[in-house]
Amino acid sequence: MDEHSYDAIVVGTGISGGWAAKELTEKGLKTLVLDRGRMVRHGDYPTAMKDPWELPYGGRATQEDLRRHAIGARSNVITQASKHWFVDDLDNPYIEIQRFDWIRGYHVGGRSIMWGRQSYRWSPMDFEANARDGIAVDWPIRYDDLAPWYDHVEGFIGVSGQAENLPQLPDGKFLPPMELNCVEQRLRRVLADRFGRTLTIGRAAHLTAPLAHSPQRGTCQYRNLCIRGCPFGAYFSSNSSTLPAAERTGNMTLIPNAIVHELIYDARGARARGVRVLDARSGAQTEYLARVIFLCASTFGSAFILLNSVSSRFPNGFGNDSGELGCNVMDHHLDVGADARVEGFEDRYYSGRRPNGFYVPRYRNLGADRRDYLRGFGYQGGAARLDWTRLMHEATLGASLKAKAATPGPWYVGMGGFGEVLPYHDNRVTLDRTHKDKFGLPVLAFDAGLKENELRMRKDMKSDAAQMLEAAGYRDIRPFDEQIGLGLGIHEMGTARMGRDPKTSVLNEWNQLHACKNVYVTDGSCMTSAACQNPSLTYMALTARAANHAVDELKRMNI
Amino acid sequence: MNRREVLQQVAWLMGGTLSAPAVLGVLEGCRAAENAAWKPQFLSERQAELVAEVAEIMIPRTATPGAKDVGVPAFIDAMLKEAYPREDRERYLSGLEAFDAAARTAHGEGFLRLDAPRRLALVQRFHDVALAEEGAAGPQARTLRRPFILMTKELAMLGFFTSRAGATQVLQYVAIPGSYHACVPLARAGNGKTWAVEPGGRF
Repeated sequence: MDEHSYDAIVVGTGISGGWAAKELTEKGLKTLVLDRGRMVRHGDYPTAMKDPWELPYGGRATQEDLRRHAIGARSNVITQASKHWFVDDLDNPYIEIQRFDWIRGYHVGGRSIMWGRQSYRWSPMDFEANARDGIAVDWPIRYDDLAPWYDHVEGFIGVSGQAENLPQLPDGKFLPPMELNCVEQRLRRVLADRFGRTLTIGRAAHLTAPLAHSPQRGTCQYRNLCIRGCPFGAYFSSNSSTLPAAERTGNMTLIPNAIVHELIYDARGARARGVRVLDARSGAQTEYLARVIFLCASTFGSAFILLNSVSSRFPNGFGNDSGELGCNVMDHHLDVGADARVEGFEDRYYSGRRPNGFYVPRYRNLGADRRDYLRGFGYQGGAARLDWTRLMHEATLGASLKAKAATPGPWYVGMGGFGEVLPYHDNRVTLDRTHKDKFGLPVLAFDAGLKENELRMRKDMKSDAAQMLEAAGYRDIRPFDEQIGLGLGIHEMGTARMGRDPKTSVLNEWNQLHACKNVYVTDGSCMTSAACQNPSLTYMALTARAANHAVDELKRMNI
Repeated sequence: MNRREVLQQVAWLMGGTLSAPAVLGVLEGCRAAENAAWKPQFLSERQAELVAEVAEIMIPRTATPGAKDVGVPAFIDAMLKEAYPREDRERYLSGLEAFDAAARTAHGEGFLRLDAPRRLALVQRFHDVALAEEGAAGPQARTLRRPFILMTKELAMLGFFTSRAGATQVLQYVAIPGSYHACVPLARAGNGKTWAVEPGGRF
């Protein structure tokens, strides 16, 4: 085996790629792991320990920052503390036929460094939804296929949470839950008593207790500076968790700055031979070969590689016999809900900064409930006392401003919905070969948006939130519904969906390309529907399941 | 126990897997300038002096440091230079001159030559009028085209409460809480003052 030949290649090091790397190397495969961005070792988090006064510009973006990160700035993540995790949008262009907010991080670890850490299982209902509604195509798997893999990944990453015994949100193997504060506890009782709905602490991939198998990770220190990278390794990232596990096996070769832009197809063997890689710094081209390839480059990253890999066998993109590649783009639609002022509890406060909020699992279109739209939504929210920023809006100046700033303000509670987006064939990305990026590669063009089902759902997401806050007796209730494009959920999915029939789907029930079995795609592109839960935990479970399948198939000489 | 000691203790508790020197290395980052002898980069000397006096009226030195003590004037100058588009900068400067002109109209002298009660009264009047107008316009802080007096307030508050003295002496700040207590009597939440946190965006 030469330096360009491996048992397996993993493209991408984010949530999914890290898991593929860990599972494949632990099963003994010599694995090449490629990432298009710079190297980030666990601990390489330059702003993680900075105090507020150590950040220039009060932490805010400068005009130059906003010029370089015009897309990222749509998500409020471009700050002095976190801007280095988000791509330079001038260097990484794409086409918006409809507005699409593509929030990216190109570095080892990918968005596992900046993710929201919310970790929910999907339910049996979610895998059955397309078949029941006659929407798109049926998932080729069911909850029971994935349940042991949810167990597997939860046990490894550590998920704190509270068991609630709900059929629409299965419990997992939880570390101790973080606490709800006193306002949230009361709201939990109101929602249970008045509506029969559940409010639970967010299920978050934070260590609230040590993990014996990952001694490099410490427990949560309640700083709530997670987006900077955690030097304690207290939340799950590829950098803190899966990549160190893969490295320990001695079977991983990790190469950063390696842009995979094409799969190499072997027509005689009807298989993928390897990948073509462009060095992001030198522009040098290299080919790497392997027996099995895992695409974990993100929903649009993997779609790009497949669309850009054309041959006489695959003139419309690698594995694209169905014509579904790049289609069925999904996300979660959000920025809709309500907030309110809470009276009372003035003698209560909290100490420590909890990096988590509450979660209200889906309750619409369950049981006897029937709405004028399909599927449903969950809420994420939290209660806190206002800080000094409230005084911007008060006619207070001078010594009394300082005195008021030192006194915690009234409690406020807010909640925002995360709604399911249906898979629509015409919500899609295509490759625009008339536009090139600085590497000379074509760019993606986005043409996807919310449709009638989502817009009807948003009415409930707004009015239900206001109704629940009203039932709790809160004041100054402000319902909101921001006009958004797709993408801001940063839960993009669907561009290479799984399904039973090669004529209508790209991947089979093991995340293999129907048309080329030694290529697995296990990031968000594989999703057949979107549910309303945060999807990362499901990507991890699907990836671990697919990686173990690949190892078995290699042993059986099937791929 | 200072932060360095806390960090070393935490690193030790974690079995030394995260080496204390590695963590401490990132502590040596640059400090925000709190230099008394700063030279304005965007404002003129006279404009900078006027902004400094307005900011000090908004957040004065009391038993704790005030806006000028923690470098708010230099902060505002840097923010205007780097963090605002031209339209906002121009509105700020013309608003500043209109504010100074209002002092001359009312009292025959520029703001910097007024006595303390007249300065305070002018700042308060401009502030209260602008706040009422903004309140009538609705809660759209992210896209607000704030006038001079409110931009100065916003930037003075941002610069002051993210400064070391503002965060640790007026508010309370703990770099590494280490634990979370969801619901405690106010007096037992540290010293009972507001916790210093970074603002999540415009306010």
